[in-house]
Amino acid sequence: MTQPWSARQAGTVGLPGRSEPANLADILERVLDKGIVIAGDIRVNLLDIELLTIRVRLLIASVDRAREMGIDWWEHDPTLSSGQRSLADENRRLRQRIGELENGGSQRSDGGVPADEAEAASHKNDSSPARQGQGSSG
Amino acid sequence: MAEEHVIWVYAIISVLEPGLLDGLTGIGGEQVRVVTEHDVGAVIGSVDARMFGEEALQQSLAQPGELEAVARAHHHIVETVAAAQAAIPARLATVYRDETGVRDLLAERGDEFAGTLRWLSSRLELGVKVWADPSLLAGEGTAEQVDITPDGGAAAGAGTLYLRQRRAHLTAREAGHQHATRLSDEIHAMLAGLAVSACLHAAQDPRSGDDHSQMVLNGAYLVDSARAEEFSAAAVASGQEGARVEVTGPWPPYSFADGPDR
Repeated sequence: MTQPWSARQAGTVGLPGRSEPANLADILERVLDKGIVIAGDIRVNLLDIELLTIRVRLLIASVDRAREMGIDWWEHDPTLSSGQRSLADENRRLRQRIGELENGGSQRSDGGVPADEAEAASHKNDSSPARQGQGSSG
Repeated sequence: MAEEHVIWVYAIISVLEPGLLDGLTGIGGEQVRVVTEHDVGAVIGSVDARMFGEEALQQSLAQPGELEAVARAHHHIVETVAAAQAAIPARLATVYRDETGVRDLLAERGDEFAGTLRWLSSRLELGVKVWADPSLLAGEGTAEQVDITPDGGAAAGAGTLYLRQRRAHLTAREAGHQHATRLSDEIHAMLAGLAVSACLHAAQDPRSGDDHSQMVLNGAYLVDSARAEEFSAAAVASGQEGARVEVTGPWPPYSFADGPDR
């Protein structure tokens, strides 16, 4: 039972310093949705970030709980951790398939140029430093 | 191969408080610094392009774990700066190739930034959330109870009784939700009256676990620092049975970064 008249306060209102770390959902809704928009040189696809915010919002309660229990399940969730990778994989498969079709259905053993090209593209993707340390089950 | 850097923007400020950034490290562990142009400055850091360049960023921000780390690190810098002086927080992932781009920005939009900084000066953002308990949302005590005494019920029969109960339940729920909406509107209006400016964020999702309360207000308020305690006390006092009020902050003025004329 929660006490009916309870009013809780987070942080030390009125003082510059904070006593406890802010809730992740509160931070994300501010740093991703608010703050001044300045057109920098580098554009991160904002639509993706918006979708991500929604996803993160949906998951945040679970994430916090999972953390408490020492579970990092999202690193194994294909829609969260390896979205880019599976996109690259899919890309590679599609290119391979196109290559095969363009070769009139001949086997790739006779050269496989499209596959090589695709391999290089997917390798470039995998070698990104941002992926280091991220578990991703294939 | 030399390490390439890009410039990460944390916030826009006017003249920097001396020593504020000493030893302060940013999202990439870099020493945070300021570039100034015409009395307006940008709090920036040089970060590794391999980690915070376009492609890497797109990927890392798509992962909750890394997004959290970057968001918290960004927020830490913005918060530190905004606690000491007026600051306009930059949205996450504002990145330039070099300092020239940042200087051009400051030269171009300096007047606008200066105006916003004056408006934000000696003010802070407070968050107020109102959580409605399930009992309040179910409308318990708001609708008349269905007559299920033998007298009233026997004449009706089990099916009719069920439907009548069901309708009463739905009516109560409807009343409960209306009550919660009205309450959050009232609290928001009251708080907006104490604030310089107010805005609403989307309600966050229901909490997991045994607490099934639902967020019915997620407001942000720009408040004169001198009135922060008063505001906070008024917010807390607006809670009532079935509706809990949570005050968060003080926040850097993220929700008011667009200035008074937004």
